[in-house]
Amino acid sequence: MRRRKSIFDIMREHMEELEELAEEMMDQLIERPSWDVRTHSLEPLCDVSVAPDRVIVTADLPKVDPRSIRVSGVADDLIEITAKMRVKINFEDFGVTHRRGEFSCFSCRVPLPVPVDTSRAKARFRKGILEIILPRKRGYEIKVE
Amino acid sequence: MSEKVKVIEKAEIPSGLKIILGLPDVGLVGVIAASHIISKLKLEEVAYFRSNLLPPVIMLEKGLPRSPIRVFGNKEILVLNSEIAIPSASIHDIIEGIINWVGEKKVEIVYTLGGLPIPNRHEIEKPRIFGAASNEELLKILDEKEIKAIGRGFLVGPQALILSLCAERGIPAVTLLAECFYNYPDPEASSIVIQALNRMIDMKIDVSELIEKGEEVRLAMRDMMRRTQAELARMKKSHEYDIPGYYIR
Repeated sequence: MRRRKSIFDIMREHMEELEELAEEMMDQLIERPSWDVRTHSLEPLCDVSVAPDRVIVTADLPKVDPRSIRVSGVADDLIEITAKMRVKINFEDFGVTHRRGEFSCFSCRVPLPVPVDTSRAKARFRKGILEIILPRKRGYEIKVE
Repeated sequence: MSEKVKVIEKAEIPSGLKIILGLPDVGLVGVIAASHIISKLKLEEVAYFRSNLLPPVIMLEKGLPRSPIRVFGNKEILVLNSEIAIPSASIHDIIEGIINWVGEKKVEIVYTLGGLPIPNRHEIEKPRIFGAASNEELLKILDEKEIKAIGRGFLVGPQALILSLCAERGIPAVTLLAECFYNYPDPEASSIVIQALNRMIDMKIDVSELIEKGEEVRLAMRDMMRRTQAELARMKKSHEYDIPGYYIR
């Protein structure tokens, strides 16, 4: 006898599909270089975490001149991070002799999962890690009776 | 020995040596520490791993092919290091293959090095060190060396499998974990782990260079961190943040 699918089965199937999709997206992100010879830039390691009141974005920026760090809001759910390195790095510095290119900055665009108010964002740089705190957009208040 | 994982020994490896394991995990703490130890002790490659469960990747060094998982050593100590992220789907078989070989070699003790991710790592000046062991006698030694054992909590990934397999097979094993970044290479945490290891086995591995060259290490480890992070997410590494369920003492 075939059992009818319960709402939990359906939810679980949807969650599994979503997880697979997220994994595919992650794989696609990785299947390209983390550097761009044309713009002399490296893509930094980034992390996004969402709290009820804010979104926290961090980025690992080794060898960066702290004064050169620029953070800008491109949209309410997209920010751009750029920073110049104190020294130029080339492939040979990593022992790689079969590629050519020189890198002098970090650059990336970080999509945010929820809209934020970039005008009220704050950023600080500590231990080589850039931390950006972006308040989430306020919604309408609903009166509780 | 597991058919899926083969070990090819390039030199004679006596039994009864200590082995240090540095596998890719949070902050690449173990990998960075193992590489530093290999370079400081000027260890030579003595064995390498081959497995169909790994992606078809080799390391080229001066034009010659090398396995991404290798064992380096001298007459006293062995260090296993991986230069690629281990696919989450094959982690069980790979670790079992490693522990099978470790058992065959009748090693005296396994030291596995890694990190304990904390969300506010960038606000912490000096990461703390924690330990876990395969038996109670080793826990006493950890206590004598002032390394606090993790009382209760989840462990996910290579460390979890190494420790449980060693405990099951009666192979003495100690896990040393320093507080670290989850997804940024953390050479500072690696230095804390090496200092704890120095206390455990009476070694004197200098870590000053690791701290001085911290930024270089972070730059060089960027791509490996990206790939490791993707595998860690598949292993549900965030389970380590979970508070274990209610229990009655």
